Amino acid sequence: MASADSETRPQEAIPQAVKIIIAGGFGAGKTTLVASVSEITPLSTEEVMTEASYGVDDIGGVEHKTTTTVALDFGRITINDDVVLYLFGTPGQDRFWFMWDELAEGALGAVVLADTRRLDTCFHAVDFFERRGVPFVVAVNRFEGSTVYREEEVRQALDVSADVPIILADARERGSCKEVLVELVTHVIRGRDPVMSG
Amino acid sequence: MRTDGVHGHEAVAGALPEETVRGPAPEAPGHDEEFGQERFLRPFAVTAGDPDTPAVLGPEPSGIDMLSLVVAARVPGRHEWLRPERETILGHALRARTVVELAAEVHLPVGQVRGIVAAMIADGSLQRCGPSRPLARQDILHAVLVGLRSL
Ligand SMILES: Nc1nc2c(ncn2[C@@H]2O[C@H](COP(=O)(O)OP(=O)(O)OP(=O)(O)O)[C@@H](O)[C@H]2O)c(=O)[nH]1
Ligand SMILES: [Mg+2]
Repeated sequence: MASADSETRPQEAIPQAVKIIIAGGFGAGKTTLVASVSEITPLSTEEVMTEASYGVDDIGGVEHKTTTTVALDFGRITINDDVVLYLFGTPGQDRFWFMWDELAEGALGAVVLADTRRLDTCFHAVDFFERRGVPFVVAVNRFEGSTVYREEEVRQALDVSADVPIILADARERGSCKEVLVELVTHVIRGRDPVMSG
Repeated sequence: MRTDGVHGHEAVAGALPEETVRGPAPEAPGHDEEFGQERFLRPFAVTAGDPDTPAVLGPEPSGIDMLSLVVAARVPGRHEWLRPERETILGHALRARTVVELAAEVHLPVGQVRGIVAAMIADGSLQRCGPSRPLARQDILHAVLVGLRSL
């Protein structure tokens, strides 16, 4: 009987899977950005969660828990035979922080999409990545009719340090998204190895 | 193909060879006051269709995370016909796949697929695999930069 054991199959190069996180407030353009640069139609999966309130006893409170699902979308960019990059859009709501923890684990870096109609919605993301020590850039996603901010104003509003790049972006444009990601990776490399990157 | 042993955090997050860049990551406690009164917990018992397999909470117990790579170690369809989702996962894992891709392909929540994948590794249906050519993080970053520029 034929066997499909991995030993008998032709050896196939297995790439390293790495990730970049696309974060930002609700409706900031995360899914749009992922779709703009992904080589596949962004896939969506969900995570099921149980909601508990404070003070509820772990065992006794089971009946009072409600289940919520949160969509997680991701795209993929094959870098070369050795590396495949995944882009993960974070769930728009901050309260799903445990999901953020997992997403942040081992991530190369993060893009925080700042929505100029409501800059404050990305405060949590900025805060989170600063605390976790995940390098990030801020991409200012401009929506029609919203206030036009200068970089300095955004920097002040978000209270991010001078070395964090702030870039104007349009999540609907592939070229713009590509620039944002290049800026992020350059920033990460610079932070790790200031000499090698000019 | 290199088959990874599973050793806790070393094996998770795409098995990156180094720690995250800017120093130690604080753990979850402390987030609560930041993120308001509501708390969302990972489910223990939400395992639709596969009551024997608890969903996995966080990367800890199995060392399997969303970007862990697995590949089928047996032919699908001959065993476990009582658990169709396992056979479906197996069918999708004929080539090495990340857990999150499997989840999207079989339309099940990631946490649940992680639990099933862990069980399938334990029973020898799936095999964990590491990258054929593991790279240092700095080399990965440079490769990613080049790749992104040529998009
Ligand atoms: N003008 C403008 N509109 C944008 C831009 N990016 C996204 N949009 C639009 O804004 C809406 C929301 O974008 P999404 O990509 O779904 O936002 P999201 O961050 O994934 O939203 P949630 O997942 O719900 O938090 C869509 O209708 C987009 O077409 C942008 O750069 N400029
Ligand atoms: Mg979205």
